[in-house]
Amino acid sequence: MSKLVAKRTVDMQIIGDWVEPGSRVLDLGCGRGVLLDYLQQTKQAHGIGVDLDFQKILGCVRRGITAYQGDMEAFMRAFPAGFFDRVICSRTVQELTDPAAVIVEALRAGRAVTVGFVNHGYWKNRVDAFFRGRKPRNPVYTTEWFESRPANPVTVSDFERFCAAKGITVTRRAVLRGDWHTPCRFRPNLFAGYALYDLTR
Amino acid sequence: MNDAEEDSPSAPPEPGEVGLVEPHDFVCTQPFTCESGQVLPGFTLRYETYGRLNAARDNTVIVCHALSGDHHCAGIHALTDAKSGWWNNFIGPGKAVDTTHFHVLCANVLGGCQGSTGTSSTNPATCRPFGVAFPFVTVRDMVRAQKLLCDQLGLTALAAAIGGSMGGMQVLQWGIEYPGFVRRLIPLATTARESAQAIAFNEVGRQAIMQDPDWHHGDYGRGGGPRVGLAIARMMAHITYLSDQSMDAKFGRRRKGVADNPAYTFDVQFEVESYLRHQGESFINRFDANSYLYITRALDHFDLAAAYGSLEQAFAPVTAETLSVAFASDWLFPPDQNRAIVLALLRAGKRASYAELALNLGHDSFLLESEDLYGLVRSFLGSPASP
Repeated sequence: MSKLVAKRTVDMQIIGDWVEPGSRVLDLGCGRGVLLDYLQQTKQAHGIGVDLDFQKILGCVRRGITAYQGDMEAFMRAFPAGFFDRVICSRTVQELTDPAAVIVEALRAGRAVTVGFVNHGYWKNRVDAFFRGRKPRNPVYTTEWFESRPANPVTVSDFERFCAAKGITVTRRAVLRGDWHTPCRFRPNLFAGYALYDLTR
Repeated sequence: MNDAEEDSPSAPPEPGEVGLVEPHDFVCTQPFTCESGQVLPGFTLRYETYGRLNAARDNTVIVCHALSGDHHCAGIHALTDAKSGWWNNFIGPGKAVDTTHFHVLCANVLGGCQGSTGTSSTNPATCRPFGVAFPFVTVRDMVRAQKLLCDQLGLTALAAAIGGSMGGMQVLQWGIEYPGFVRRLIPLATTARESAQAIAFNEVGRQAIMQDPDWHHGDYGRGGGPRVGLAIARMMAHITYLSDQSMDAKFGRRRKGVADNPAYTFDVQFEVESYLRHQGESFINRFDANSYLYITRALDHFDLAAAYGSLEQAFAPVTAETLSVAFASDWLFPPDQNRAIVLALLRAGKRASYAELALNLGHDSFLLESEDLYGLVRSFLGSPASP
C-alpha cells in the first residue's frame, strides 16, 4: 500500500466513524466515489456525490455510486433544509472560490457538515515557504505551481477562526500529525498535517 | 490528491453487429382505452428484438424511440440495406447496450406510422384510414401499450428502459407507471415537462401541415396528403435538433451549385438549404402527416408535475435507479430540464445520477458516436445492483 493510499484510508475511517449507519450523505467534490463507496459498504449510507468533471461521474457510476455533475452550491439549493443527514467536504475546501458560501449552504441542506483538509500551517509547509521561499511540494502536493489548479490553502487556525466568526458549532475535531495517523495533541496549527471537523449550525 | 489511479476499467470487447433482423407484430385484440377516454378496438405494435432472453426472462432493455424514430434501432433488414437501424452505433454485441448480455426490445409507438396502429391504419368502423378520427394518444398510452407487449412476450422484468427525447419521456413514464418491473432508467436529452418553446415549435410544424390544402382535414387517404406541409414541418423541426455551432461547422456559408446559378434567385444557394430540403423530402416518404400531428400533441401534453401534482409526487412510486444524461449544446431539452428530473428524483429519495456531455451537435447529440456516452451507459447497465 502506497503512503498516499494509506493516508486516504485514515481520513476515510475517521469520516466513517462519524457517519451514522443508514444515513443520507452528500459528498461535495466526490471524485470517483471512493469515499462514498466505503461509506455505502461500511455504513450502508445512502450517498450522492457532486463533482464538476464528467470523468469523475463516470468513475462513480462504474462503482455503483450515484453522482451529479454540476455546481455544488446550485445542487444544495435544490434541497430543503436538513435534507441530508451529513454533507461531507473532504479535501475540497481549498478548491472553492467561495468556501464560506459553500459551508453555510451545506449547514442549511445538511444537519451536520464534515470538513477535512490538509493543514497548510503544518511546520513542514512553513519551513518550505520560509527556507525555500517556494510553494510547498511534498508527497501530497506533488505539482509545481504552474501545473496546479488555483488553490486556497487553509490552516487549522484559519478554519477555527472562521467557525467562531460565523457562529458555527464544532461538535467534533480530529487533528492528525504529519503521518495523518497519530492524533496530534499539541499545537495542531503547527504540528497537525491533517484536520477533520464536524460542524452544525 | 485525486483518486484517478484507482480506476482501471477493463477494455470493452471489440464491438460487433446484430446483423440481419426482422420486425414482428404484436396484435392486441382487447380494446385499449386511451388516457383521453377514447377507445381503440385493438391495436398492433411493430417491434424488433436483438440478443437472447435469459431463462428468468428479466434481461430485456427496452429502447424507446423519439418523435420520428421507429422500432428498427439496430441491424439491417436486408444485405442490400444502405443504412442500419437508427441506434446501430449504440446497440449490438460489445456495444454500449451489449446484446451478448441483454435482450433488446424496441417497438414503434402507438399512433406511429411504421407498422404500429396509428392514423394511417384502417379504422375497422369505416374501413378507411383513421385520420383524425384516431384517438388522442399520450406518452403514457405509448408506454401502457408497450407493457402489454412485454406481458405477451412473458417478460418478468426489464433490466432497463433507455431513450432520448420523446424516448426519454417514455423512460420516465415506465419508471412511474410500472415500478418494480423496470430496474434501471436511462432518459437522455429529455424533459419532464414540454416547455413553451418546444410546444411552439411543434405548433409551427402542425400549422405547416394543416394549412397545406392537401391535408383535407386529415382525410387524405394513402399516398397523398400534405407533402409540402410535412416537409416544411420536418425542415423546421430538424433545425431544433442541431446547434448553431454544429450547423456552422458542417455547412458554414458554403454555396451549392453556384456555377450554374445566378446569385439573386430563391433557388437553393447554400448547402444548408439543400440539406434541409433533403431532410424534408426523405421524411415525407416515410412519415404520415397525421401521425406527426398526433405525436407532437402527445409531446405537448407531457407534463409530469401537472399530471401528478408535483415532480416529486410523480416520482414517488419509482423504484428503479436512474441515470440521466444531457448535452451542453441541446437547446430543445437543455441540461437544466434534465437536471430538474434528477433533482426531483433525489428529493423524492430515489437513486439517480446526472451527467452532462459537452458534445456540440445539439439535441441530436445523443445519437452521436461518443466513447464517453458509451462508457457511461455500459457502466451503468453493468454496475453493482442498488443496495
